[in-house]
Amino acid sequence: MYRYIALLVVSTFLMSCNSTRVVKTLDKGEQQITGSFGGPAIIFGGAPIPIPLSSVGYAVGLDTGLTFAGGVHTTSLLFGNAEVDLNMGINAFKTKSNKFGITVSPGLHMIYGFNGGDFSIYPQLEGIAWKEYGNKNNLIFGGLGTWVELDREKAYGEVQEHELMPYITLRHQFTGQKWNFQLEARYIGFTYPNENIVVDYLGPFSTGTSGVYFGISRKFGKK
Amino acid sequence: MKKLALLLTSGLLLSSCLRMDSLLFNPDDSITEYLLDDFDGETEIDLDGSYDLPDSTEHVFTLTSDLEGDLASIYAVYVGDISRIATDTVILYLHGNAGHLDYYWPRIKLLANVGSKNRFGVLAIDYRGYGLSEGDPSEDALYEDSDAALRWLKENGLTDDRLIIYGFSMGTAPATELMANKRSMQPSKLMLEAPFASDEVMVQDASGLSLPGSFFTSLEINNAEEIAKINEPFFWIHGTADSFLSIETHGEVVYKNYDGVYSTAYRVEGGEHIDVPAIMGYDAYVEAVLEFLEYTP
Repeated sequence: MYRYIALLVVSTFLMSCNSTRVVKTLDKGEQQITGSFGGPAIIFGGAPIPIPLSSVGYAVGLDTGLTFAGGVHTTSLLFGNAEVDLNMGINAFKTKSNKFGITVSPGLHMIYGFNGGDFSIYPQLEGIAWKEYGNKNNLIFGGLGTWVELDREKAYGEVQEHELMPYITLRHQFTGQKWNFQLEARYIGFTYPNENIVVDYLGPFSTGTSGVYFGISRKFGKK
Repeated sequence: MKKLALLLTSGLLLSSCLRMDSLLFNPDDSITEYLLDDFDGETEIDLDGSYDLPDSTEHVFTLTSDLEGDLASIYAVYVGDISRIATDTVILYLHGNAGHLDYYWPRIKLLANVGSKNRFGVLAIDYRGYGLSEGDPSEDALYEDSDAALRWLKENGLTDDRLIIYGFSMGTAPATELMANKRSMQPSKLMLEAPFASDEVMVQDASGLSLPGSFFTSLEINNAEEIAKINEPFFWIHGTADSFLSIETHGEVVYKNYDGVYSTAYRVEGGEHIDVPAIMGYDAYVEAVLEFLEYTP
């Protein structure tokens, strides 16, 4: 019964909202809007459920192999927090056929709370290997990323032992004529035990939590 | 883009509407009467018949709680002889965030068995929204409803030196608040079982990051700070396997911040959030409570 308060898991906005980074950098001048829905899974009432979190994003190709992306986390907004992420997608490697590549995405994840005036910022870094395949250029990618905890203290001066919040991600994109649809799985905080905390996270090996995300995107404005 | 702007505007308009505060409370108001010994629903611990008390010492009644003019009739159970409150020592038991008084009845009985049967009077209440109590729960109501219990005890002749306050889980918030900031009475001793430090610690435990609690709640419960104001003797008990309120991040912080005249701590090996008396062993638990109650500064 005490698990009801486990819905404090919304405090995992940062870990859970799908950031709006691009997988494959856009062409110069090309733009993309995205929406995502999903989150980490917890055990609630004896069954695994994903926490419903959402975000919307925008990306634009600044140059060949360089894309800027930003997103607003709409669920967080409803709780009185302005939560945004800003990141750059940098093409680190790409085959001549443009079917396989590696994208590196440094970024910042920021939250401002209107209720308490508190502000938090988390640098973020992700490396993504992607591959296009098939006639429709469907896309599959795997990535390794982390958020960086800059604060060395927690409440009451207790030591913050978590310097990084790493995650592994695997996504498939179904490429349509206009809209693309993504299904993504993440394994978040896999280096940390998930027992004896307020939330019953669903993670293998009693570590971290797994999450499932659904996304939709559309490109436009290619020049 | 118009739709996006509309969505963002709507979100901003709704901002500060959604808070996690109400999730602190998990009351059960489905009952039509208090059954106490006859309650066959889920309880936190199970006691055998040796802990049963004479029916004549079990009194269920109502109190009026006045939260800034918002009057509510809340239910209470007193275990003991009401006519002897003027001379007895009484424990005010403030329960956790779930259920209602029947759910905590075995715990109340256990305290009424400390020393011997009915050696100490025990008063427990259902906060607003819990059990048959009127109204809706809130942080302010927790404090006001608990103070209504103090007023009733005072009206029946209890003095500060014979009042002990015992909070469990969420009940550690009103217990600590009323101890640190005197209202109708000033309890002489404080007992906390599985206390939580603050909502911020809950948020940080859940996220693994140093996120401010204000991102998600407007609760002002802060046992870790309030405990520092308390000088009276303090008893702390916490299960080492508490998977809800971690002993390290919650209990130890509260205990460490206490700076009063006397404290005693019980870290119950293998104890979860709700079963510490059972894991510790009822006899050992009762003995530990008795030792503290008999302590004289």
